[in-house]
Amino acid sequence: MTDIGKVRIRIPSGIKAGDVVRARVLVLHPMEIVERRAGKPVDKNYLFINRVVVSYAGREIGLFDLTQSVSENPFLSFAFRAAEPGQLKVTFLDTHGGRYEGTADVKFG
Amino acid sequence: MNDRTDPTPLSRRALLKSAGVLGAAGLLAPWLGAPPPALAQGNLGNLVPEEPVEATLKRLFGGRPIKDGSSAIKLELPIIAENGALVPISVEVASLMTPQSYVKTIYVISDKNRRPMNARFTLTPASGQAFVATNLRLGESTDVRAVAELSDGTLLMARRDVKVTIGGCGG
Repeated sequence: MTDIGKVRIRIPSGIKAGDVVRARVLVLHPMEIVERRAGKPVDKNYLFINRVVVSYAGREIGLFDLTQSVSENPFLSFAFRAAEPGQLKVTFLDTHGGRYEGTADVKFG
Repeated sequence: MNDRTDPTPLSRRALLKSAGVLGAAGLLAPWLGAPPPALAQGNLGNLVPEEPVEATLKRLFGGRPIKDGSSAIKLELPIIAENGALVPISVEVASLMTPQSYVKTIYVISDKNRRPMNARFTLTPASGQAFVATNLRLGESTDVRAVAELSDGTLLMARRDVKVTIGGCGG
């Protein structure tokens, strides 16, 4: 998968100062699930995203812990208060040390 | 960077904050700064545990009372999920999200998954709205619970059952 870690962020257009808006984020990632052999889970270094950090205008506003019970190519949606113009940044961290970032600029029209 | 799927109910930030306040980082967070597992070695032991859902609730919330939050929590899930590998879920908790009173954490727990603890969302007042959505993998028809922890420590829970036609091997 060459596209692994590709992040897409969508925020509504025409945000006004102080609005609470919902962002939608998609990241391409296999989110490997536990393999079983003869009923026993196999110990290997499963590759999945286990942490997501959301920051806005340089401040951390959310921290999500995911498990393998989240679907392949995880979709996430969350809200944030657009108090000032700034950058919304979502960072995905996986169990193999991968770090994938997506950003969206919040501007007031 | 801490790479583990940590088994504690506290967020790393909350731990850091409380560690800072109490000046007892070593006692509170002995696993902070633990090196990520080597690639050759498996991380099976670091995953959220395989356990019955009662054990998950006990592990996450201890004996703390969990109130019925069905009026405050809007939990949206399909009634019938044709594909267990991709079950959309959204959770919205009624809260003004002020610094005095906000929803600190939302847990998503599915009863019949082998590892019931599915996702934990740590929010801040800057979230503006206690809303999260994602897609879940569900192994079979199950109850899905959303537990919200408020900033004053109150726990609220809502649950819905989902019929899963084809299981999604929900790890």
